[in-house]
Amino acid sequence: MAFKFAIQTSGLTKQYGQAVAVNKLDLNIQSGQFYGLLGPNGAGKSTTIHMLTTMTSPTFGDAFIAEQSVRDNPVAIRAAVGLVFQDSALDRMMTVDENLQFAAALYNLKPQQANERIDELLTIFGLEKKRHMKLVALSGGQRRAVDIARGVLHKPKVLFLDEPTIGLDLPNRRAIWRFVEQLRKEEGMTVFLTTHYLEEAVACDRVDFIQKGQLQYGGAPNALIRDLAAYILEIDCADTEVVNRALGPQFGEPIWEDEHLTFRVKDKDVDFSALQRSLGDAVIAMQWRKPNLNDVYLWTVCPPQTGVVS
Amino acid sequence: MKNWPAVKAVVGRELSKVFRQKGRLISSMVRPLIWLLVIGSGVGSMLQGEQQAGYLSFLVPGIVAMTLLFAALLSALTLVYDKEFGVMRMMLIAPIAHYWIVISKLIAATIIAMVQAVMLLVILLLLGLVEVQTALLLLIPASATAICCAAIGGLIAAWSKTLDNFAVIMNFFIFPLFFLSGALYPVSQLPEFLKYIVLINPFSYGVDLMKHAVPAATSDFSIVTDIAVLLSFSVVAIALACWRFSRESVHEPLFHRVSKKGG
Repeated sequence: MAFKFAIQTSGLTKQYGQAVAVNKLDLNIQSGQFYGLLGPNGAGKSTTIHMLTTMTSPTFGDAFIAEQSVRDNPVAIRAAVGLVFQDSALDRMMTVDENLQFAAALYNLKPQQANERIDELLTIFGLEKKRHMKLVALSGGQRRAVDIARGVLHKPKVLFLDEPTIGLDLPNRRAIWRFVEQLRKEEGMTVFLTTHYLEEAVACDRVDFIQKGQLQYGGAPNALIRDLAAYILEIDCADTEVVNRALGPQFGEPIWEDEHLTFRVKDKDVDFSALQRSLGDAVIAMQWRKPNLNDVYLWTVCPPQTGVVS
Repeated sequence: MKNWPAVKAVVGRELSKVFRQKGRLISSMVRPLIWLLVIGSGVGSMLQGEQQAGYLSFLVPGIVAMTLLFAALLSALTLVYDKEFGVMRMMLIAPIAHYWIVISKLIAATIIAMVQAVMLLVILLLLGLVEVQTALLLLIPASATAICCAAIGGLIAAWSKTLDNFAVIMNFFIFPLFFLSGALYPVSQLPEFLKYIVLINPFSYGVDLMKHAVPAATSDFSIVTDIAVLLSFSVVAIALACWRFSRESVHEPLFHRVSKKGG
Protein backbone atom coordinates (compact mmCIF):
# COMPACT_ATOMS: atom_id res chain seq x y z
CA MET A 1 0.00 0.00 0.00
CA ALA A 2 1.41 3.39 -1.04
CA PHE A 3 1.35 6.27 1.41
CA LYS A 4 1.78 9.91 0.56
CA PHE A 5 3.77 10.51 3.72
CA ALA A 6 6.17 7.89 5.00
CA ILE A 7 6.80 9.90 8.19
CA GLN A 8 4.60 12.48 9.88
CA THR A 9 5.07 14.02 13.28
CA SER A 10 2.86 16.37 15.15
CA GLY A 11 4.16 18.32 18.13
CA LEU A 12 6.65 15.54 18.79
CA THR A 13 8.40 16.31 22.06
CA LYS A 14 10.83 14.45 24.29
CA GLN A 15 11.75 15.62 27.74
CA TYR A 16 14.22 14.10 30.17
CA GLY A 17 13.25 15.68 33.46
CA GLN A 18 13.54 19.41 32.89
CA ALA A 19 15.69 19.03 29.76
CA VAL A 20 13.85 19.21 26.44
CA ALA A 21 15.68 17.05 23.88
CA VAL A 22 13.15 17.51 21.08
CA ASN A 23 10.65 20.33 21.11
CA LYS A 24 7.33 20.27 19.19
CA LEU A 25 8.70 18.75 16.01
CA ASP A 26 6.38 18.81 13.00
CA LEU A 27 7.57 16.81 10.00
CA ASN A 28 5.92 15.62 6.80
CA ILE A 29 8.27 13.40 4.81
CA GLN A 30 6.95 12.00 1.57
CA SER A 31 7.30 8.35 0.63
CA GLY A 32 10.49 7.67 -1.29
CA GLN A 33 12.08 10.92 -0.13
CA PHE A 34 15.71 11.11 0.97
CA TYR A 35 15.47 13.32 4.03
CA GLY A 36 18.29 14.73 6.14
CA LEU A 37 18.01 16.03 9.70
CA LEU A 38 21.17 18.00 10.34
CA GLY A 39 22.60 19.64 13.37
CA PRO A 40 25.37 19.67 15.94
CA ASN A 41 25.91 17.11 18.70
CA GLY A 42 23.07 17.13 21.20
CA ALA A 43 20.68 18.91 18.84
CA GLY A 44 18.05 16.17 19.14
CA LYS A 45 18.68 14.24 15.92
CA SER A 46 19.17 10.81 17.46
CA THR A 47 16.38 11.31 19.98
CA THR A 48 14.06 12.08 17.06
CA ILE A 49 15.11 8.86 15.32
CA HIS A 50 14.66 6.88 18.52
CA MET A 51 11.12 8.19 18.92
CA LEU A 52 10.31 7.44 15.28
CA THR A 53 11.58 3.87 15.64
CA THR A 54 9.83 3.25 19.01
CA MET A 55 13.12 2.93 20.88
CA THR A 56 11.96 5.73 23.14
CA SER A 57 8.47 7.11 23.55
CA PRO A 58 7.48 10.73 23.02
CA THR A 59 6.65 12.83 26.06
CA PHE A 60 4.09 14.78 24.02
CA GLY A 61 2.79 14.65 20.48
CA ASP A 62 2.77 11.69 18.16
CA ALA A 63 4.54 10.34 15.10
CA PHE A 64 3.27 8.18 12.29
CA ILE A 65 5.25 5.83 10.08
CA ALA A 66 3.24 4.72 7.05
CA GLU A 67 0.17 6.08 8.85
CA GLN A 68 0.69 3.98 11.99
CA SER A 69 1.19 5.67 15.33
CA VAL A 70 4.45 5.01 17.18
CA ARG A 71 2.45 5.17 20.38
CA ASP A 72 -0.24 2.67 19.44
CA ASN A 73 1.55 0.11 17.35
CA PRO A 74 5.27 -0.15 18.16
CA VAL A 75 5.72 -3.73 16.92
CA ALA A 76 4.16 -2.89 13.52
CA ILE A 77 6.33 0.23 13.32
CA ARG A 78 9.46 -1.82 13.98
CA ALA A 79 8.47 -4.17 11.14
CA ALA A 80 8.15 -1.19 8.81
CA VAL A 81 11.44 0.51 9.63
CA GLY A 82 15.12 -0.31 9.43
CA LEU A 83 17.52 1.44 11.79
CA VAL A 84 21.27 1.69 11.36
CA PHE A 85 22.73 2.87 14.64
CA GLN A 86 25.66 5.22 15.09
CA ASP A 87 27.86 2.35 16.19
CA SER A 88 27.58 -1.27 15.23
CA ALA A 89 24.80 -3.37 16.72
CA LEU A 90 26.30 -6.56 15.32
CA ASP A 91 27.97 -9.35 17.26
CA ARG A 92 31.67 -9.07 16.47
CA MET A 93 32.33 -12.67 17.41
CA MET A 94 29.83 -13.99 14.88
CA THR A 95 30.38 -14.19 11.12
CA VAL A 96 28.74 -11.83 8.64
CA ASP A 97 26.40 -14.64 7.61
CA GLU A 98 25.50 -15.57 11.20
CA ASN A 99 24.74 -11.95 12.08
CA LEU A 100 22.55 -11.46 9.03
CA GLN A 101 20.81 -14.83 9.45
CA PHE A 102 20.09 -13.88 13.05
CA ALA A 103 18.67 -10.52 12.03
CA ALA A 104 16.63 -12.18 9.26
CA ALA A 105 15.10 -14.60 11.76
CA LEU A 106 14.21 -11.71 14.07
CA TYR A 107 12.25 -10.26 11.13
CA ASN A 108 10.60 -13.61 10.48
CA LEU A 109 12.18 -14.11 7.04
CA LYS A 110 12.02 -17.70 5.82
CA PRO A 111 15.48 -19.35 5.42
CA GLN A 112 15.39 -19.36 1.60
CA GLN A 113 14.10 -15.78 1.52
CA ALA A 114 16.85 -14.78 3.98
CA ASN A 115 19.60 -16.50 1.98
CA GLU A 116 18.51 -14.83 -1.26
CA ARG A 117 18.33 -11.43 0.38
CA ILE A 118 21.72 -11.83 2.08
CA ASP A 119 23.26 -12.89 -1.27
CA GLU A 120 21.72 -9.85 -2.93
CA LEU A 121 22.90 -7.37 -0.30
CA LEU A 122 26.41 -8.78 0.05
CA THR A 123 26.74 -8.51 -3.73
CA ILE A 124 25.66 -4.86 -3.64
CA PHE A 125 28.18 -4.19 -0.88
CA GLY A 126 30.92 -6.30 -2.52
CA LEU A 127 31.17 -8.51 0.56
CA GLU A 128 30.35 -11.91 -0.99
CA LYS A 129 33.79 -13.26 -0.09
CA LYS A 130 33.55 -12.02 3.50
CA ARG A 131 30.30 -13.85 4.20
CA HIS A 132 31.83 -16.46 6.48
CA MET A 133 34.34 -14.19 8.17
CA LYS A 134 33.88 -12.96 11.71
CA LEU A 135 32.90 -9.31 12.01
CA VAL A 136 35.99 -8.65 14.08
CA ALA A 137 38.15 -9.46 11.02
CA LEU A 138 36.44 -6.84 8.82
CA SER A 139 37.48 -3.23 8.31
CA GLY A 140 35.38 -0.42 9.82
CA GLY A 141 33.82 0.36 6.45
CA GLN A 142 32.96 -3.27 5.79
CA ARG A 143 31.38 -3.62 9.23
CA ARG A 144 29.32 -0.50 8.55
CA ALA A 145 28.19 -1.99 5.25
CA VAL A 146 27.08 -5.15 7.07
CA ASP A 147 25.24 -2.93 9.55
CA ILE A 148 23.38 -1.27 6.72
CA ALA A 149 22.67 -4.66 5.13
CA ARG A 150 21.18 -5.71 8.47
CA GLY A 151 19.04 -2.60 8.52
CA VAL A 152 17.53 -3.25 5.08
CA LEU A 153 17.31 -7.07 5.16
CA HIS A 154 13.54 -6.99 5.58
CA LYS A 155 13.04 -4.30 2.91
CA PRO A 156 11.74 -1.65 5.32
CA LYS A 157 9.46 1.13 4.15
CA VAL A 158 11.66 3.65 5.92
CA LEU A 159 15.38 3.32 6.54
CA PHE A 160 16.80 5.42 9.37
CA LEU A 161 20.52 6.12 9.14
CA ASP A 162 21.79 7.64 12.36
CA GLU A 163 25.21 9.15 11.56
CA PRO A 164 26.04 6.17 9.33
CA THR A 165 29.53 7.31 8.37
CA ILE A 166 30.73 8.48 11.76
CA GLY A 167 34.31 7.40 12.39
CA LEU A 168 34.90 6.23 8.80
CA ASP A 169 37.62 7.48 6.49
CA LEU A 170 36.73 9.24 3.25
CA PRO A 171 36.90 6.25 0.86
CA ASN A 172 34.67 4.21 3.18
CA ARG A 173 32.26 7.13 3.58
CA ARG A 174 31.98 7.45 -0.17
CA ALA A 175 31.45 3.71 -0.53
CA ILE A 176 28.67 3.78 2.07
CA TRP A 177 26.88 6.56 0.17
CA ARG A 178 27.18 4.63 -3.08
CA PHE A 179 25.50 1.66 -1.39
CA VAL A 180 22.74 3.81 0.05
CA GLU A 181 22.13 5.42 -3.34
CA GLN A 182 21.99 2.03 -5.01
CA LEU A 183 19.54 0.73 -2.39
CA ARG A 184 17.34 3.78 -2.87
CA LYS A 185 17.30 3.35 -6.64
CA GLU A 186 16.60 -0.37 -6.49
CA GLU A 187 14.16 -0.48 -3.60
CA GLY A 188 12.66 2.99 -3.55
CA MET A 189 12.69 3.19 0.24
CA THR A 190 12.31 6.41 2.18
CA VAL A 191 15.61 7.29 3.84
CA PHE A 192 15.84 9.42 6.98
CA LEU A 193 19.42 10.50 7.59
CA THR A 194 21.05 12.29 10.48
CA THR A 195 24.60 13.48 10.15
CA HIS A 196 26.87 16.26 11.14
CA TYR A 197 29.02 15.72 8.05
CA LEU A 198 26.82 18.26 6.30
CA GLU A 199 28.44 17.88 2.89
CA GLU A 200 27.09 14.31 2.82
CA ALA A 201 23.52 15.56 2.93
CA VAL A 202 23.67 17.33 -0.45
CA ALA A 203 22.17 14.22 -2.07
CA CYS A 204 19.05 14.57 0.12
CA ASP A 205 15.77 15.71 -1.41
CA ARG A 206 15.22 17.89 1.65
CA VAL A 207 17.19 18.77 4.73
CA ASP A 208 16.19 20.46 7.96
CA PHE A 209 18.57 21.97 10.48
CA ILE A 210 17.77 21.22 14.09
CA GLN A 211 19.21 23.07 17.06
CA LYS A 212 18.33 22.55 20.73
CA GLY A 213 15.52 20.20 19.72
CA GLN A 214 13.80 22.66 17.39
CA LEU A 215 13.73 22.85 13.61
CA GLN A 216 15.46 26.00 12.45
CA TYR A 217 15.63 26.09 8.72
CA GLY A 218 15.13 23.70 5.82
CA GLY A 219 14.59 23.02 2.16
CA ALA A 220 16.19 21.33 -0.82
CA PRO A 221 19.98 21.44 -0.25
CA ASN A 222 20.83 23.00 -3.62
CA ALA A 223 18.15 25.64 -3.20
CA LEU A 224 19.40 26.44 0.31
CA ILE A 225 22.94 26.80 -1.01
CA ARG A 226 21.79 28.89 -3.98
CA ASP A 227 19.74 31.15 -1.72
CA LEU A 228 22.62 31.64 0.68
CA ALA A 229 25.16 33.17 -1.72
CA ALA A 230 26.93 32.91 -5.04
CA TYR A 231 30.34 32.82 -3.33
CA ILE A 232 31.83 32.57 0.11
CA LEU A 233 34.71 34.99 0.59
CA GLU A 234 37.24 34.16 3.29
CA ILE A 235 39.87 36.69 4.32
CA ASP A 236 42.81 36.42 6.68
CA CYS A 237 43.15 40.01 7.80
CA ALA A 238 46.02 42.13 9.00
CA ASP A 239 43.37 44.65 10.08
CA THR A 240 39.86 43.23 10.53
CA GLU A 241 38.31 46.65 11.20
CA VAL A 242 39.53 48.06 7.89
CA VAL A 243 38.34 45.00 5.95
CA ASN A 244 34.96 44.95 7.69
CA ARG A 245 34.43 48.70 7.12
CA ALA A 246 35.31 48.27 3.43
CA LEU A 247 33.30 45.13 2.68
CA GLY A 248 30.54 45.17 5.28
CA PRO A 249 28.31 47.69 3.47
CA GLN A 250 28.60 45.66 0.24
CA PHE A 251 28.33 42.06 1.54
CA GLY A 252 26.72 42.39 4.96
CA GLU A 253 27.96 41.32 8.35
CA PRO A 254 30.73 38.70 8.23
CA ILE A 255 31.44 35.73 10.49
CA TRP A 256 34.34 36.67 12.75
CA GLU A 257 36.87 34.08 13.82
CA ASP A 258 39.79 36.02 15.35
CA GLU A 259 41.58 37.63 12.39
CA HIS A 260 39.59 35.61 9.86
CA LEU A 261 36.47 37.13 8.27
CA THR A 262 33.97 35.22 6.14
CA PHE A 263 31.51 37.07 3.91
CA ARG A 264 28.72 35.76 1.77
CA VAL A 265 28.65 37.27 -1.67
CA LYS A 266 25.31 37.26 -3.49
CA ASP A 267 26.58 39.03 -6.60
CA LYS A 268 27.89 36.54 -9.18
CA ASP A 269 30.00 39.13 -11.00
CA VAL A 270 32.31 40.41 -8.30
CA ASP A 271 35.93 40.91 -9.38
CA PHE A 272 37.70 39.39 -6.36
CA SER A 273 41.20 40.16 -7.64
CA ALA A 274 40.37 43.85 -7.90
CA LEU A 275 38.75 43.69 -4.49
CA GLN A 276 41.89 42.20 -2.96
CA ARG A 277 44.04 44.88 -4.55
CA SER A 278 41.74 47.60 -3.17
CA LEU A 279 42.14 46.31 0.37
CA GLY A 280 45.93 46.51 0.15
CA ASP A 281 47.89 45.65 3.29
CA ALA A 282 44.75 45.06 5.37
CA VAL A 283 44.53 41.59 3.77
CA ILE A 284 47.06 38.79 4.34
CA ALA A 285 45.28 36.19 2.22
CA MET A 286 41.94 35.96 0.49
CA GLN A 287 40.03 33.11 -1.14
CA TRP A 288 36.59 32.72 -2.64
CA ARG A 289 34.70 29.54 -3.31
CA LYS A 290 31.22 28.16 -3.99
CA PRO A 291 29.09 27.82 -0.83
CA ASN A 292 28.06 24.44 0.61
CA LEU A 293 25.72 23.13 3.29
CA ASN A 294 28.26 23.87 6.03
CA ASP A 295 27.97 27.53 5.05
CA VAL A 296 24.17 27.32 5.10
CA TYR A 297 24.40 25.92 8.62
CA LEU A 298 26.87 28.57 9.77
CA TRP A 299 24.90 31.47 8.31
CA THR A 300 21.36 30.38 9.09
CA VAL A 301 21.47 28.22 12.20
CA CYS A 302 24.44 29.84 13.91
CA PRO A 303 24.10 33.63 13.48
CA PRO A 304 27.33 35.41 12.43
CA GLN A 305 28.21 36.69 15.91
CA THR A 306 28.12 33.17 17.28
CA GLY A 307 29.36 31.45 14.17
CA VAL A 308 32.64 30.36 15.66
CA VAL A 309 32.80 26.60 15.40
CA SER A 310 35.31 24.61 17.37
CA MET B 1 3.02 -18.48 17.09
CA LYS B 2 4.31 -15.55 15.07
CA ASN B 3 7.17 -14.80 17.49
CA TRP B 4 8.51 -18.36 17.32
CA PRO B 5 11.16 -17.68 14.60
CA ALA B 6 12.57 -14.80 16.67
CA VAL B 7 12.56 -16.91 19.85
CA LYS B 8 14.25 -19.75 17.96
CA ALA B 9 16.86 -17.32 16.59
CA VAL B 10 17.74 -15.90 20.03
CA VAL B 11 17.88 -19.37 21.60
CA GLY B 12 19.90 -20.71 18.64
CA ARG B 13 22.40 -17.87 18.90
CA GLU B 14 22.95 -18.54 22.62
CA LEU B 15 23.35 -22.28 22.14
CA SER B 16 25.72 -21.95 19.19
CA LYS B 17 27.88 -19.51 21.17
CA VAL B 18 28.08 -21.88 24.15
CA PHE B 19 28.76 -25.01 22.10
CA ARG B 20 31.47 -23.15 20.22
CA GLN B 21 33.22 -22.49 23.55
CA LYS B 22 34.10 -26.10 24.33
CA GLY B 23 36.61 -24.96 26.96
CA ARG B 24 33.82 -23.19 28.85
CA LEU B 25 31.69 -26.33 28.82
CA ILE B 26 34.53 -28.56 30.00
CA SER B 27 35.68 -26.11 32.69
CA SER B 28 32.12 -25.86 33.97
CA MET B 29 32.54 -29.47 35.13
CA VAL B 30 35.58 -28.64 37.26
CA ARG B 31 33.73 -26.68 39.97
CA PRO B 32 31.11 -29.34 40.81
CA LEU B 33 33.68 -32.14 40.67
CA ILE B 34 35.96 -30.25 43.08
CA TRP B 35 33.05 -29.74 45.44
CA LEU B 36 32.02 -33.35 45.19
CA LEU B 37 35.40 -35.06 45.28
CA VAL B 38 37.46 -32.66 47.41
CA ILE B 39 34.93 -31.07 49.78
CA GLY B 40 32.73 -34.16 49.76
CA SER B 41 35.63 -36.49 50.57
CA GLY B 42 37.05 -34.05 53.12
CA VAL B 43 33.82 -33.59 55.05
CA GLY B 44 32.95 -37.26 54.51
CA SER B 45 36.22 -38.32 56.15
CA MET B 46 35.01 -36.74 59.41
CA LEU B 47 31.98 -39.00 59.36
CA GLN B 48 31.92 -42.66 60.37
CA GLY B 49 31.18 -45.85 58.40
CA GLU B 50 27.99 -45.78 56.31
CA GLN B 51 27.58 -42.07 56.95
CA GLN B 52 30.90 -41.50 55.18
CA ALA B 53 29.83 -43.28 51.96
CA GLY B 54 26.34 -41.78 52.22
CA TYR B 55 27.59 -38.20 52.31
CA LEU B 56 28.89 -38.33 48.75
CA SER B 57 25.51 -39.65 47.56
CA PHE B 58 23.81 -36.97 49.65
CA LEU B 59 25.89 -34.33 47.87
CA VAL B 60 24.99 -35.50 44.35
CA PRO B 61 21.65 -33.65 44.01
CA GLY B 62 23.12 -30.51 45.59
CA ILE B 63 26.12 -30.56 43.26
CA VAL B 64 23.94 -31.11 40.19
CA ALA B 65 21.74 -28.24 41.40
CA MET B 66 24.85 -26.10 41.86
CA THR B 67 25.81 -26.80 38.25
CA LEU B 68 22.34 -25.72 37.16
CA LEU B 69 22.52 -22.56 39.27
CA PHE B 70 25.90 -21.40 37.94
CA ALA B 71 25.13 -22.36 34.33
CA ALA B 72 21.72 -20.69 34.27
CA LEU B 73 22.90 -17.53 36.02
CA LEU B 74 25.92 -17.17 33.75
CA SER B 75 23.73 -17.74 30.70
CA ALA B 76 21.31 -15.08 31.87
CA LEU B 77 24.39 -12.84 32.00
CA THR B 78 24.14 -12.62 28.20
CA LEU B 79 21.17 -10.27 28.70
CA VAL B 80 23.61 -7.84 30.32
CA TYR B 81 26.45 -8.73 27.94
CA ASP B 82 24.30 -7.96 24.89
CA LYS B 83 23.22 -4.67 26.45
CA GLU B 84 26.80 -3.74 27.24
CA PHE B 85 28.14 -4.58 23.78
CA GLY B 86 25.24 -3.02 21.88
CA VAL B 87 23.99 -6.25 20.28
CA MET B 88 20.79 -5.95 22.28
CA ARG B 89 19.77 -3.06 20.01
CA MET B 90 19.52 -5.51 17.12
CA MET B 91 16.88 -7.38 19.11
CA LEU B 92 15.15 -4.29 20.49
CA ILE B 93 14.56 -2.90 16.99
CA ALA B 94 13.07 -6.21 15.80
CA PRO B 95 9.28 -6.46 15.46
CA ILE B 96 8.72 -8.47 18.62
CA ALA B 97 7.50 -7.39 22.04
CA HIS B 98 10.59 -6.87 24.18
CA TYR B 99 9.58 -9.41 26.81
CA TRP B 100 10.10 -12.15 24.20
CA ILE B 101 13.81 -11.35 24.31
CA VAL B 102 13.85 -12.17 28.04
CA ILE B 103 11.79 -15.32 27.55
CA SER B 104 14.07 -16.50 24.73
CA LYS B 105 17.19 -15.84 26.78
CA LEU B 106 15.75 -17.75 29.73
CA ILE B 107 14.78 -20.70 27.52
CA ALA B 108 18.39 -20.74 26.30
CA ALA B 109 19.70 -20.47 29.88
CA THR B 110 17.52 -23.42 30.93
CA ILE B 111 18.73 -25.57 28.02
CA ILE B 112 22.38 -24.68 28.63
CA ALA B 113 22.00 -25.48 32.35
CA MET B 114 20.42 -28.83 31.51
CA VAL B 115 23.19 -29.68 29.03
CA GLN B 116 25.79 -29.07 31.74
CA ALA B 117 23.77 -31.08 34.26
CA VAL B 118 23.61 -34.00 31.80
CA MET B 119 27.37 -33.75 31.22
CA LEU B 120 27.94 -33.85 34.98
CA LEU B 121 25.61 -36.82 35.44
CA VAL B 122 27.49 -38.74 32.73
CA ILE B 123 30.77 -38.08 34.60
CA LEU B 124 29.16 -39.14 37.88
CA LEU B 125 27.91 -42.30 36.18
CA LEU B 126 31.41 -43.07 34.92
CA LEU B 127 32.80 -42.48 38.43
CA GLY B 128 30.18 -44.83 39.81
CA LEU B 129 28.69 -42.15 42.06
CA VAL B 130 25.14 -42.52 40.68
CA GLU B 131 23.12 -45.34 39.19
CA VAL B 132 21.74 -45.03 35.64
CA GLN B 133 18.16 -45.07 36.97
CA THR B 134 18.91 -42.32 39.49
CA ALA B 135 20.64 -40.20 36.86
CA LEU B 136 17.67 -40.47 34.51
CA LEU B 137 15.23 -39.77 37.32
CA LEU B 138 17.26 -36.70 38.37
CA LEU B 139 16.68 -35.12 34.96
CA ILE B 140 13.02 -34.50 35.78
CA PRO B 141 13.52 -32.37 38.95
CA ALA B 142 16.65 -30.89 37.32
CA SER B 143 14.45 -29.42 34.57
CA ALA B 144 12.23 -27.66 37.10
CA THR B 145 15.29 -26.45 39.03
CA ALA B 146 16.93 -25.21 35.81
CA ILE B 147 13.88 -23.10 34.99
CA CYS B 148 13.92 -21.67 38.53
CA CYS B 149 17.66 -20.86 38.26
CA ALA B 150 17.17 -19.22 34.86
CA ALA B 151 14.34 -17.17 36.37
CA ILE B 152 16.65 -16.04 39.20
CA GLY B 153 19.29 -15.13 36.59
CA GLY B 154 16.74 -13.25 34.50
CA LEU B 155 15.58 -11.32 37.54
CA ILE B 156 19.14 -10.31 38.43
CA ALA B 157 20.07 -9.50 34.80
CA ALA B 158 16.99 -7.36 34.28
CA TRP B 159 18.07 -5.16 37.18
CA SER B 160 21.76 -5.06 36.21
CA LYS B 161 22.99 -2.13 34.20
CA THR B 162 26.52 -3.28 33.49
CA LEU B 163 28.56 -6.47 33.60
CA ASP B 164 30.42 -5.18 36.68
CA ASN B 165 27.13 -4.66 38.42
CA PHE B 166 26.01 -8.15 37.46
CA ALA B 167 29.24 -9.70 38.80
CA VAL B 168 28.69 -8.00 42.18
CA ILE B 169 25.09 -9.15 42.30
CA MET B 170 26.12 -12.67 41.28
CA ASN B 171 28.56 -12.90 44.18
CA PHE B 172 26.02 -11.36 46.52
CA PHE B 173 23.33 -13.87 45.54
CA ILE B 174 24.97 -17.01 44.21
CA PHE B 175 26.82 -18.14 47.33
CA PRO B 176 23.98 -17.44 49.79
CA LEU B 177 21.58 -19.17 47.39
CA PHE B 178 23.83 -22.23 47.26
CA PHE B 179 25.04 -22.46 50.87
CA LEU B 180 21.58 -21.81 52.30
CA SER B 181 19.76 -24.34 50.19
CA GLY B 182 20.42 -27.60 51.96
CA ALA B 183 22.71 -28.68 49.12
CA LEU B 184 25.62 -29.43 51.46
CA TYR B 185 23.83 -30.44 54.65
CA PRO B 186 20.31 -31.38 55.72
CA VAL B 187 18.17 -28.33 56.47
CA SER B 188 17.00 -29.95 59.71
CA GLN B 189 20.54 -29.72 61.10
CA LEU B 190 20.87 -25.98 60.52
CA PRO B 191 20.44 -23.42 63.34
CA GLU B 192 16.86 -22.15 63.64
CA PHE B 193 17.46 -18.66 62.17
CA LEU B 194 19.19 -20.12 59.09
CA LYS B 195 16.25 -22.45 58.52
CA TYR B 196 14.05 -19.43 57.86
CA ILE B 197 16.46 -18.22 55.22
CA VAL B 198 16.45 -21.66 53.61
CA LEU B 199 12.67 -21.53 53.59
CA ILE B 200 12.57 -18.28 51.62
CA ASN B 201 15.29 -19.40 49.21
CA PRO B 202 13.57 -20.76 46.07
CA PHE B 203 16.70 -22.70 45.13
CA SER B 204 16.25 -24.81 48.32
CA TYR B 205 13.13 -26.33 46.81
CA GLY B 206 14.99 -27.23 43.61
CA VAL B 207 17.69 -28.97 45.61
CA ASP B 208 15.05 -30.67 47.72
CA LEU B 209 13.09 -31.85 44.68
CA MET B 210 16.28 -33.41 43.35
CA LYS B 211 16.91 -35.12 46.67
CA HIS B 212 13.62 -36.96 46.16
CA ALA B 213 15.25 -38.68 43.15
CA VAL B 214 18.29 -39.86 45.13
CA PRO B 215 17.61 -42.71 47.58
CA ALA B 216 20.51 -41.79 49.91
CA ALA B 217 19.47 -38.15 50.26
CA THR B 218 16.85 -37.11 52.80
CA SER B 219 14.46 -34.43 51.61
CA ASP B 220 13.02 -31.73 53.83
CA PHE B 221 9.81 -30.83 51.98
CA SER B 222 7.17 -32.76 50.07
CA ILE B 223 7.34 -33.08 46.26
CA VAL B 224 4.13 -31.05 45.98
CA THR B 225 5.60 -28.22 48.07
CA ASP B 226 8.81 -28.23 46.02
CA ILE B 227 6.97 -28.13 42.68
CA ALA B 228 4.46 -25.53 43.85
CA VAL B 229 7.20 -23.19 45.12
CA LEU B 230 9.46 -23.68 42.08
CA LEU B 231 6.60 -23.15 39.66
CA SER B 232 5.10 -20.12 41.35
CA PHE B 233 8.50 -18.50 41.97
CA SER B 234 9.55 -19.08 38.35
CA VAL B 235 6.34 -17.60 36.96
CA VAL B 236 6.55 -14.52 39.20
CA ALA B 237 10.29 -14.02 38.61
CA ILE B 238 10.02 -14.37 34.83
CA ALA B 239 7.02 -12.02 34.78
CA LEU B 240 8.97 -9.46 36.85
CA ALA B 241 12.05 -9.79 34.63
CA CYS B 242 9.89 -9.33 31.51
CA TRP B 243 8.14 -6.32 33.02
CA ARG B 244 11.38 -4.74 34.08
CA PHE B 245 13.11 -5.40 30.76
CA SER B 246 10.17 -4.02 28.78
CA ARG B 247 10.48 -0.71 30.59
CA GLU B 248 11.92 1.93 28.34
CA SER B 249 14.10 3.33 31.09
CA VAL B 250 16.02 0.04 31.21
CA HIS B 251 17.22 0.04 27.61
CA GLU B 252 17.18 3.80 27.06
CA PRO B 253 20.79 4.16 28.32
CA LEU B 254 21.80 1.91 25.40
CA PHE B 255 20.70 4.63 23.03
CA HIS B 256 21.78 7.56 25.17
CA ARG B 257 25.31 6.23 25.30
CA VAL B 258 25.37 6.66 21.54
CA SER B 259 23.27 9.81 21.43
CA LYS B 260 25.76 11.59 23.65
CA LYS B 261 28.33 11.08 20.92
CA GLY B 262 26.21 12.33 18.08
CA GLY B 263 23.11 14.18 19.14
